[in-house]
Amino acid sequence: MRSITRKNMGKKILIIEDEETLNKSIADFVVAEKFEVINSLDGESGLEMARKELPDLILLDIVLPKKDGYEVLDELKKDEKTKDIPVILLTNLESQEDIVKAFEKGATTYLVKSDYKLQDVVKKIKAALGMI
Amino acid sequence: MKIVNDLNLKKQAEELGVSVWRTPSFLSIVLGAISILSMNGVYHAAKFIGDNPRLIIISEIVVVLIVLAIGKLTINQMEEMAKLNKMKSEFISVASHQLRTPLSAIRWQTEIMLDKLSDGLDEKQKEKITNIDSLTARMTRLVNDLLDVARIDQGRFKLKIKEVEINTVIKKILNEVAIPLGEKKGVGVSFDGNCDLTVMADEEKIDLVFENLLSNSIKYTLEGGKVSINCSLKDGMALFEVKDTGVGIPETQQDQIFAKFFRSSNVVRYQTEGTGLGLYIAKSVVEQLNGKMWFESKENVGTTFSFTLPLKK
Repeated sequence: MRSITRKNMGKKILIIEDEETLNKSIADFVVAEKFEVINSLDGESGLEMARKELPDLILLDIVLPKKDGYEVLDELKKDEKTKDIPVILLTNLESQEDIVKAFEKGATTYLVKSDYKLQDVVKKIKAALGMI
Repeated sequence: MKIVNDLNLKKQAEELGVSVWRTPSFLSIVLGAISILSMNGVYHAAKFIGDNPRLIIISEIVVVLIVLAIGKLTINQMEEMAKLNKMKSEFISVASHQLRTPLSAIRWQTEIMLDKLSDGLDEKQKEKITNIDSLTARMTRLVNDLLDVARIDQGRFKLKIKEVEINTVIKKILNEVAIPLGEKKGVGVSFDGNCDLTVMADEEKIDLVFENLLSNSIKYTLEGGKVSINCSLKDGMALFEVKDTGVGIPETQQDQIFAKFFRSSNVVRYQTEGTGLGLYIAKSVVEQLNGKMWFESKENVGTTFSFTLPLKK
């Protein structure tokens, strides 16, 4: 357990989520798991932050102001510096079309918020980072 | 007469047609009365005009025109109602999506309190937060059910059909849902494990069908009762039965059991929680997978829900 905690330290997670309460809830939980967190409330600033900070993983909502999650994902995958950062889509959209579109654009994982507890989200983060 | 080609519209129109049949609207009664009166008028006119062929043709044309007008009015009425039904489904879909975001926020806040901040809470506070957590989970399930119904009504309930090993599905539902629920309720849940069948279906949706049927059976079976799952072959299809020794469905209400939001009067007495959507969703899923669902029930004796699914070729 301790070794996992040490391992988490230094891993930087970027949360792009416009609903402030949700953004803060995820951040609180992830910080308690010893990850470093940076966050953004819209797609445009989230993309800038990703380019500047080069996080280890991005949690990305789809319905976002300024740039939606798909646009952000497209631009991340086009950019040589950010194309290999794993992106977990965390959304309440759950149509087959949305899921297929997300994977076609290069998402690592697709999670429907209302179906997941935060501890499961953390498990998915660790899996995407190859920690479990 | 206009043919309704849009399958979705047709389905909704058929659904509405059933309700119109059960409860005739004012318009249907007026149209019915007009047609009877006009037939009567033609009969008397025919007697009056005797054998005059020209007048007979004219009177026949009048009847045909009246019948066509009635048909047109009925189709317009059905299309109008189908449109309203579609708007209602779209409203449910949007409202449900909007509801999910605050629900996720509440669930995650309670999870943080119980998981990361519980040191500062006493037992009473923990109990209250746990209650909020389980009530929010219940509301999320309700919203998910409403979304499923909206998708079914809009014809957007997409299926990923592949080979599904039923033994694995049943064991998973038993371990994750049915056995824990049965233990809590004091109801024995049994499965002989002998269901070595592979069907063509959508695994996630079949999970949902078994989950809905099993959780209903357990909910409406009193302590000490039994619920069992059996499977066999019937007319080249896989047949599944979920049998309980529960409160049963009153005979007078059995024809409504698959209707949306319907809950029989006796189950409401035993269990106040429930939306009346589970069986509607289960039957719709099975039918979309080219199977059939039916039941047999006797009040205070028990109920058996059965459904079929196509076997792997």
